[in-house]
Amino acid sequence: MTRNLRTVLGMCAGLLLMLGLSYGQVAFLTPFDKLPDWSGAWSMTGGTVFDRASQTGQGGALATGVREHPPYNAEWEAKYQKNLALRDQARFPDVVTNCGVPAGFPRMFNLPDPYEFAVRPEEVWILAENGPNVMRIYTDGRKHLEDQWETYTGDSVGHWEADTLVFTTIALKGSRDGDSILDRTGLILSDKAHATTRMRKTNATTIEVQMTIEDSKALTKPWVVTKQFQKMAAGTRLYDYGCAENNRNPVDEKTGETLTLGPDGKPLK
Amino acid sequence: MTLVNRLGIAMLAVAALTVIIPNAVPTALAHHSGVEFDTSKVVEITGTIKEFQFKNPHTWIQVMVPNGKGGTVEWSLEWGSPNSLGRQGVRPTTFPVGAKATLRINPMRTGAPGGAFVGAKFEDGKTVGQWN
Repeated sequence: MTRNLRTVLGMCAGLLLMLGLSYGQVAFLTPFDKLPDWSGAWSMTGGTVFDRASQTGQGGALATGVREHPPYNAEWEAKYQKNLALRDQARFPDVVTNCGVPAGFPRMFNLPDPYEFAVRPEEVWILAENGPNVMRIYTDGRKHLEDQWETYTGDSVGHWEADTLVFTTIALKGSRDGDSILDRTGLILSDKAHATTRMRKTNATTIEVQMTIEDSKALTKPWVVTKQFQKMAAGTRLYDYGCAENNRNPVDEKTGETLTLGPDGKPLK
Repeated sequence: MTLVNRLGIAMLAVAALTVIIPNAVPTALAHHSGVEFDTSKVVEITGTIKEFQFKNPHTWIQVMVPNGKGGTVEWSLEWGSPNSLGRQGVRPTTFPVGAKATLRINPMRTGAPGGAFVGAKFEDGKTVGQWN
């Protein structure tokens, strides 16, 4: 073998090694034809009480006496009870009615109106007509940023375990700024909340989302909440949701803040 | 003009035209909390459709209702989102401008001329929403 030939073979080996590394990254992705079919329109079942498994009291989130029982510590249980008392007086404002902020996570999985779940090898999009709200889950092998700042929906990265999408969500601002709740009972989490979510199709017409939520400020132990989504009729259309299109909530002329009205027709604040 | 201002123009002048129907099914509202509406009551009003605002986050039916003094009062009735209603077959033409109808609503707690839409019956007998 001549020296030149050895040089060429060495370059080829290097090139193959480079391609191999590159392929290794691509190989992390689940091929499109191996991904589950989550196509169509989906509707959350069971109403908008976030954790129905721990619910006490009869009715929906606005019904007097209805509450959930997350493993709150005493401080956050007191915060929740304060919100519940306001809810019982019909004076607990839901900020999303101002059409100005996203629902955020985990409320993202607690919305009325249809959903779509767009699945690609590198990313999954949770698309909620209500809001509208969008959640992005990166499945391309990237990691959470170490210096990720907090947002309503946070940062989600995940991977596929067979037909189950497993992802972690961090960097949630929670109730820190008073504009993010889990449901209209007044359920809240702190800016230390994070979650591991397992999402899978349990049968042809059901998708189950199981969230294990941890919050060192608010919870004494992990809180597991399961939501289910039912497939809607074939051909169901989703539409845009311009929340400000005909939002009749009045605006404070001095501050520009959109106001939420109480039962007496006056702003809640 | 805000809803509050508009509704503040006329208050209970038309109350004499209304009928209270107990134990009615409350209207489900997805976007707003609905606390401004008294879902324990259903009131009937009769008037002429001025406008059907088929817009998000909620549709609004504007109805001109005689006030018993020779004039009319504009009522604002909130219904579901155009998206969900559209999937159930409701269209912007469902409430034609100028049509006369009797409408059942959960009234505003403040007594202002407005409420949450429950159902309607037009002069020709056609019904919309929860009527029976």
